[in-house]
Amino acid sequence: MKLFGVDVGGTFTDVIFSDTDNRLTAIHKVPTTLDDPSTGVIQGILELCEGKNIDKAQIDHVFHGTTIATNAILEYDGAKTGMLTTKGYRDIIHIGRHQRPQNHSIMQDIPWQDRPLVQRRHRLSVTERMGPLKDQVIMPLEESEVRGAVATLKKQGVESIIVNFLFSYINPAHEQRVKEIIEEEYPEAFITISSDVSPQFREFERFTTASINGFVGPKVKNYIQNLEQRLKDSGIAAELHIMSSNGGVATPKTVSEKPVNTLLSGPAAGILGGAWAGELTNREKLITFDIGGTSADIGIITGSGYSESSARDTWIAGYPVMVPMIDIHTIGAGGGSIAHIDEGGAFKVGPKSAGSRPGPACYGHGGSKPTVSDANVVLGRIDEYNFLGGEMQIYSNAAYKVIDELAGELDLSRERTAEGILQIMNNNMANAIRERTVQKGEDPREFSLVAFGGAGPLHAVEVAKILNIPEIIIPLYPGINSATGLLTTDLKYDVIKTEFMLSTNMDFSGLNADFKGLESQLVNQLKEDGITENDIQVARSADCRYAGQGYELRIDLSGDVLDEVTIIEAFTNFHESHKAEYGHHFMESAIEIVNIRVTGMGVMPKIEKQKIHHDHQLEDALLKTGETTFNINGNLEKVETKFYQREKIPAGAEFQGPCIVLQKDTTTVIPPDCTASIEEYGNMIIKVGV
Amino acid sequence: MTKVQSKKIDPITVQVVLGALENVAVEMGHKLARMAYSSIIRESEDFGCALVDVRGQQLCESSHSTPLQSGPIPGYIKGIRQIMEERNDTFYPGDVIMHNSPYHGASHGPDVGFCIPVFYQDELIGFSFTAAHHLDIGASTPGSCGIVDAVDAYAEGLQFKAIKVYEKGVKNRYVWDMLSDNIRAPKMVVGDMEAQIAAAKIGAQRYLEIIEKFGLDTVEAASEELMNYSEKMMRDAIKKLPDGEYTAEGFLDGYLDSSDPAKKDLRIKVTVKVHGSEMTVDLTGTSPQVTDRPVNMPLMGTVDIAIYLTLRSILLDSTIYGSFPQNSGLIRPIHIVAPKGTLCNPIFPAPTIARFNSGNMVADTLMKALAQVVPHQVSAGVGNLQVVAFSGEKDENYWVYMDIMEGSYGGRYGKDGMDAVDTLYANTRNNPIEDIESHYPLRVNRYELKDNECAPGKWRGGIGSIREISFLADGSFSVEADGHKFAPWGFDGGKAGSVGSLSIREKESDEPFKLPSKLPNRIAKAGSNIELAGPGGGGYGNPFERDPEKVVSDFLDGFILKEKAFEDYGVVITGSGEVDYQKTNEIRNRQR
Repeated sequence: MKLFGVDVGGTFTDVIFSDTDNRLTAIHKVPTTLDDPSTGVIQGILELCEGKNIDKAQIDHVFHGTTIATNAILEYDGAKTGMLTTKGYRDIIHIGRHQRPQNHSIMQDIPWQDRPLVQRRHRLSVTERMGPLKDQVIMPLEESEVRGAVATLKKQGVESIIVNFLFSYINPAHEQRVKEIIEEEYPEAFITISSDVSPQFREFERFTTASINGFVGPKVKNYIQNLEQRLKDSGIAAELHIMSSNGGVATPKTVSEKPVNTLLSGPAAGILGGAWAGELTNREKLITFDIGGTSADIGIITGSGYSESSARDTWIAGYPVMVPMIDIHTIGAGGGSIAHIDEGGAFKVGPKSAGSRPGPACYGHGGSKPTVSDANVVLGRIDEYNFLGGEMQIYSNAAYKVIDELAGELDLSRERTAEGILQIMNNNMANAIRERTVQKGEDPREFSLVAFGGAGPLHAVEVAKILNIPEIIIPLYPGINSATGLLTTDLKYDVIKTEFMLSTNMDFSGLNADFKGLESQLVNQLKEDGITENDIQVARSADCRYAGQGYELRIDLSGDVLDEVTIIEAFTNFHESHKAEYGHHFMESAIEIVNIRVTGMGVMPKIEKQKIHHDHQLEDALLKTGETTFNINGNLEKVETKFYQREKIPAGAEFQGPCIVLQKDTTTVIPPDCTASIEEYGNMIIKVGV
Repeated sequence: MTKVQSKKIDPITVQVVLGALENVAVEMGHKLARMAYSSIIRESEDFGCALVDVRGQQLCESSHSTPLQSGPIPGYIKGIRQIMEERNDTFYPGDVIMHNSPYHGASHGPDVGFCIPVFYQDELIGFSFTAAHHLDIGASTPGSCGIVDAVDAYAEGLQFKAIKVYEKGVKNRYVWDMLSDNIRAPKMVVGDMEAQIAAAKIGAQRYLEIIEKFGLDTVEAASEELMNYSEKMMRDAIKKLPDGEYTAEGFLDGYLDSSDPAKKDLRIKVTVKVHGSEMTVDLTGTSPQVTDRPVNMPLMGTVDIAIYLTLRSILLDSTIYGSFPQNSGLIRPIHIVAPKGTLCNPIFPAPTIARFNSGNMVADTLMKALAQVVPHQVSAGVGNLQVVAFSGEKDENYWVYMDIMEGSYGGRYGKDGMDAVDTLYANTRNNPIEDIESHYPLRVNRYELKDNECAPGKWRGGIGSIREISFLADGSFSVEADGHKFAPWGFDGGKAGSVGSLSIREKESDEPFKLPSKLPNRIAKAGSNIELAGPGGGGYGNPFERDPEKVVSDFLDGFILKEKAFEDYGVVITGSGEVDYQKTNEIRNRQR
């Protein structure tokens, strides 16, 4: 199989090729074409084909990570939308949960009020009302009102219509009927119904999720249609799959219907790339750590896979989103984060960033504020002549100047200030990891930290030390990790149904029937996508809570049909994970099954393990020896440090810190008390305190 | 730039220690919200968590909680220590102390605090604390809001004055039994309390881990830096204000249906006195306490929090200043004068349980006073909240549900008011309709913004909402609200906002029957429908200066009528829904 992974980022479009038959891998980077990212995608594939003599007509699959949906919502640049909603509830998406985003601010903005996904003039209400009980129709649907409202929206010129009815997650009949009517009356419109996108309770969150889908929908649909066409026109006959936020890929058709599922397309692929790196070293428990210019993404992978964020914890551009997503914790800390003394006199790093323009002072684009990258330059960790494989000039004097200014204000030495910037930054990141591990009952000492992105490997070891993480993995290609991750995915769909069933009043036959129904829905979908029965896997789970609580924990329910016996085991698991997650459980309490979920996977071809081989010796990789500053037991010391070139270090080589490993897309810092080695599959492993 | 680091500790370590402390408070809040049973904690987030050092200074607080809960925590601890001293009692490792006395630091009776003393090498070094609003605390009628007819502190429910529910790690079973026997919905309340204790325990454990990692000296030095930091922020902000005195008045409905004039039209008077980097907030002139009705405010726990929070939101607005730690240093430059025997400093046993709206009026009036000095940092008048306790009996047990109806903000310099949000010192969340109807015999029949009603201004007032809830089974309800008589103030030429209201229809055929803003428990038959209308915030600036496009936009969105666009704003809208600039300019010029 010939596979391509293409991940579009803000600056670069990363391309990876893998031939699973002869175990060949090749990578390439082209600038992202912001106006129409498909141009860069095609260019990247064609250039790599040409460079490596790959027959483009023979490509089997193209896996693609896209930011079209993400950018549309971040930049508030989407479709002209209209909404049909239940009469009496026109403003659910405007009132929200009536909570202000900030406690201490008169001048704050409220995203859903200041940037409405559907303007009120285009929110029309119609007579209908479902109730909380199965088959409870409180008010039948008034179809003539619907037709009138659709005509109004059409006249208003909306291109996308979202249907948001109360309790549609229990009974979607009215929403579905309205969809049919819109298809009759206004077939050109992009249609979203909330029960399709996110059939779970909490109307503000569901309506908003559906509205985001409608808002980004036409753009994503056009983009994908266009990309498919251009692939064809370029003679690339491959099947296209798009990365979803849930860690799987989907077909162009399903993504065009539910683009809201691609909001975390790129970062999700990054976590998969991290998992792949872990697999190459036989590690299951991983913390993935991706630092770029402005932010850091953190993901947790345990024996049972990557964690998924709970429905209530996911926000994009200030809006809640209730669809399955890999749990990715993003904090505003990166190489461009600005160090400053704030109004109260505290020494802070970030969240403001110098971005890529002007960028850190050391980039020489006129940046005049001290950043994390400047601190790395001052300490000798970023090398003036070998940054990004020597392709980018670094201006050390500019870095000295801005750090010296800050040092003067703090009354500290230049080095102490620079090292302080890193310490504050690294501790911020360690706290973010602690939130996702220690605070959830996971011990970081059992994990490996997989670091990638332009700045991840610069900080990884120091962050690992703060958390007592014993081992750091730097993948072979840390700069195109998301693209690599694209080649490790499966087709993956999730379906969900709200149950509200109490452990004291179980209806097993109903529950089993519901699971079965969801399962056959998924299997049909996967078959439609061309997956054969043997390549389909399904997994059942349930979101449970103690009756009365408001947050759920997910419990695996794969295995037997549910009955009085098997459910006991499931509930025991719930008590245990509640205890692990929160440090406490309520054994006497009734348990409520809030939602049931089925995840369906269709197995896709993947990248294969591949040994690195070249004839170098470690000495060949030594670029130079220089002075670098490290914090050794609280004292700053300048130490002789070896600078190696990653591409030339042979497999099996072992070397001691302090050293700096340079490669085209990142720099790895290995402090004095650490040992590094290169494994046969290309990972660099750093052991702390050895 | 002033030199900032203390001699004892470098500025890098300060940030590292503070980050670790904040991380603990976040964890406590996160876990409490997720473990809690009642919607008032888990959905409304009416809780707070904090670590406090041995001197009583707050080190960190959970950011995702309501300020009215976190703010008072140092006061709770002060109250607990005072009582324990009077009783010759001591803290031991393993103690868990329950406290809710509004005359000893608690915000009001239903906000129960749990305090865990933290020991390091046999020495008391601080406290881990959680406070949360409970559904019921054994008052005369069901629920813990809308107890508007309590005649004294004893009628408000159980009073816990530094009660050890665990001593040296041993559970005091009888206290728990007595508690369960004397409150409604005990399973929920006790479950919430256990969640609070569990979260406080985590806080205590993490506090110790931090001390062990950094050393007690370092943590103490870092916390002193933290206090100084916040103090400096506040002092610098006050210094920017011209010295002088700025006064404003606001009025509360009180008991609109009462024949006693002392229970109505209650005055809140605020005089802000700025002197250099110090500020005094003087409440002299505020109405006397209402001795037998619970609208009085505890000075410590309600009045002080309303003042600190408002000052911080205006002078150190987080949109402009970013987030920074809330702690005891912040309040060092602020002095409060509150004459004893008034609404804002009542004398025991005057009741206080329904003090919520009074405190929000203190906040609003303080903003009105400050509007004279920092007009670009305030909003025009803010609408107050309305809280309804629904209850009923099922299988010889009570169900209780509390619904918080939002207010809205006044217009702001450069921005319209925030529509339909919780206001000022409260910031809770509403409960999803789909959750309410799935778990209680209630139906939310309507929840949307008011059509065609918002206060005119260059930046218009925020829009209030309408919420209708009906009973599907027999039950009862009580209401704690205000702002039915006095509308939020307009500012700088902006018009006043609109009042809130409450009415009931017992049968569908009935006309709505208006009810007062303070309603003691009232029986409701199945089918009764309660209609709440939220207040609209005041307008800011001359409406004739409003961007005509914004006026048209409000018209298209159904927020104002065409006639009002003309009358209030001098904007003429064409048949196709566009600005008629020629006519508009004519009218607007004529007005000048």
